Amino acid sequence: MLDLEGRALAAELVDLFGRGVDAPLSDDAFDDLARRVFVYQFEHNAPYAAYCRRRGLLPDVVDHWSRIPAVPTAAFKEVALVCGDPREVDAVFRTSGTTLGRERRGEHYIPDLSLYHTSLLPNFVAHLFPDGAEMPILSLIPSAREMVDSSLAHMVSVVMDRLGGAGSGTFATVALGLDLDGLARALRRFEAERTPVCLLGTSFSFVHLIDGLRERGESFRLAAGSRLMDTGGFKGRSREVPEEELRAAYEELLGIPPDYAVNEYGMTEMCSQFYDNVLRDRVRHGAVAPRHKVGPPWVRTVVVSPETLEPLPPGEVGILRHYDLANLGSVIGIQTEDLGRAVEGGFVVLGRATGAPPRGCSIAMDLLLQAVEGRGR
Amino acid sequence: MTAIDAYHLPGLREGDVARWNIREYGGGEVRLRVPVLEPPVLEAVVERLRVARANYLEARPVGDVVRAIDLAARRLADRGDPRRELAERALPAVTGYSPPMVRLVLDRMAADWTEPALASLLRSEFGDPAVLDTFRPRPGGNGRDRVRAFGPALAFHVFAGNVPGVAVTSLVRSLLVKAATLGKTASGDPLLPALFARTLAEVDPELGECIAVTYWPGGSAELEEIALRAAETVVVYGGEEAVAGVRARTPAGTRLVVHGPRISLVALARESLAADRAPRVAEEVALAAAIFDQQGCVSPHLVYAERGGDVPPEDFAGLLAKAMEGVERELPRGRISAAEAAAIQQLRGAAEWRALGGQDVRLLASEGTEYTVLYEADPAFAASCLNRVVRVKPIDSLDAIVQELAPYAAFLQTVGVDAPMARRLDLAERLGRVGVSRVTTLERMPWPPPDWHHDGQEPLRELVRWVDLEG
Repeated sequence: MLDLEGRALAAELVDLFGRGVDAPLSDDAFDDLARRVFVYQFEHNAPYAAYCRRRGLLPDVVDHWSRIPAVPTAAFKEVALVCGDPREVDAVFRTSGTTLGRERRGEHYIPDLSLYHTSLLPNFVAHLFPDGAEMPILSLIPSAREMVDSSLAHMVSVVMDRLGGAGSGTFATVALGLDLDGLARALRRFEAERTPVCLLGTSFSFVHLIDGLRERGESFRLAAGSRLMDTGGFKGRSREVPEEELRAAYEELLGIPPDYAVNEYGMTEMCSQFYDNVLRDRVRHGAVAPRHKVGPPWVRTVVVSPETLEPLPPGEVGILRHYDLANLGSVIGIQTEDLGRAVEGGFVVLGRATGAPPRGCSIAMDLLLQAVEGRGR
Repeated sequence: MTAIDAYHLPGLREGDVARWNIREYGGGEVRLRVPVLEPPVLEAVVERLRVARANYLEARPVGDVVRAIDLAARRLADRGDPRRELAERALPAVTGYSPPMVRLVLDRMAADWTEPALASLLRSEFGDPAVLDTFRPRPGGNGRDRVRAFGPALAFHVFAGNVPGVAVTSLVRSLLVKAATLGKTASGDPLLPALFARTLAEVDPELGECIAVTYWPGGSAELEEIALRAAETVVVYGGEEAVAGVRARTPAGTRLVVHGPRISLVALARESLAADRAPRVAEEVALAAAIFDQQGCVSPHLVYAERGGDVPPEDFAGLLAKAMEGVERELPRGRISAAEAAAIQQLRGAAEWRALGGQDVRLLASEGTEYTVLYEADPAFAASCLNRVVRVKPIDSLDAIVQELAPYAAFLQTVGVDAPMARRLDLAERLGRVGVSRVTTLERMPWPPPDWHHDGQEPLRELVRWVDLEG
């Protein structure tokens, strides 16, 4: 739980988020809030304050939100980056770990889940239900009851709870994975009823679905307006499928056209999420700008140089750094492991920083770990 | 700038080529040109190689082949030679290495292809290299029995990566056993193997007819099928996925020689960390890590420094950082991608936070990403993200590193050891047991000799088949 000062700031933010993603938030207004959040964190999050001091970036030096120190996601593996007592939080979300690397899992302590929820819902609705539709939500992700420390499972559970129409359901468990039979039955029923549905899953759970449908020779023409949200990479969980191929399969096997396939980009270390622009553009403007990621106005993204960590001119490829006001209880600035490029209205993600294959005959650490783990299986 | 021809395809006329594949390097600074091969054209190339081998190579004494390769090598070693000039000019953009690095690597690698080096390789592999020419008395035999070694009629080489010279060395080995030789280059360096083949063809047109080198994009299944079916031996470099792909499509009876990615490291005995010796040791380690910008299989990822010397391991990390700064001035690191630079930043960021979290981790790094030394008290082996990022880890006794390396056995290659002779021998025994294939000095670490047992294999013997003549 946040202290009195934190709760007051949280209330202000909850109010702001509640105005939705269309309420304008000028750079000045964002800057004011961001720096107040930073000052609060500097005073209440000791490891973060130590990190800022090492850089000489104290609140009185930081004159713009873009200069607030951003913490690499790796930091969440090492220390509890939280404002207040880590034992008194609403939730702890954890990253998935590797088996061989003695690396720890990242932990994001969330003192106040209301910020998480009030950021999540309007943004999700804006990008998955911009038409105001209500429909059954079918999840390919095990429920949050089973995966208590997964931020994604939590997100999906909240969304289903608040937004799911009659017939919503979860079609995966930790023990058994995807319930292909159950999901196919449900899809067949909704197809017959001409009821549009919304599917939510990780990219690799969709690969399992698609492979399973192909194997059974089944496909669906889901009712017009059906849509899906996929998220996350593959990390060796299934065969890797290029996203275009995946979207072609959505259309072929589910009858969901590419503009109704929205990729979500989120991370354990952030309370807010990003979504593809496509469905929102389609519904609001009839035309769709090239696919890119869009965040809510209370999140700002900077692309920094991988060489100097200084902000890059628009259009250049660099490391993505996000500033998220909903992260009030932890750290506002997150430096990701993702490479990307700023575009009009948002950014595109171009892959993981560690994903570069070695150019020579040596092997870099992440690929080595993957290879060694692969042999162990 | 006109495109440089990055292929050597004997008998191919420009008229045979409907389309060219132009590849740009260094942001367009260098453009390379290779023909887009139609399957029948490659079939014809393969057929022509076989005929050329029968006509010019099969009966040619190995000493003669050595002399031709030597002539080509000397041209590539000669800084005034036009082809060497072309290599020096184009390779920095093509491979990403800095110009001084390209010069150094060309000098060192070309020396490996000269007559003395090749003669010693042949002696080391065969004792009596004339077994490649005729039946020779079987060593240790009864005086009547004879043996003869035949290379494959056609060897197909699939290259990977950008480490200059690795591909050429493979081509040279293949020619030494009198195989018609077809090389598919990697996008990381399609140029040097082609320049070598063209130089060879100039100094010895007949031998030049027996070798073909070109590039085609990965996944060109039809072309690869042709080469894989035609070859008697396939030599493949690359990661597990690429190797698995070639393995799956290679006919069962074809011999397959595999060189996968490898990792190397350094082990320093406490005796090496004497006050008067440690700075020089640091310089040698820095150089070993800098050469090939750590992209080589021989490049060290990590240094195990034994406790108990004058210089404690954490201080050695400081010496190493200083030495790496010095190397950067003379042998600057090359161009790296955004993803590679980001990987370095990520590793640095994680290290800083481990230190903030109370672990004994120290980061000694350049302002940009040029070099990074990471001291970590935890002795668990961890690889580098490459491009001059070296970990230093303390160890109570060098004997203990073997258990740290065990999980990585399948990937281990070179260990550069600095220790008194008796300890080196003992350590080599242990390292060999766990899977290391080469134990060497720090100075020799980046430059394995031509006759090394590359990844534990026999560079020439693995290419030949033996015929016994019993009498």
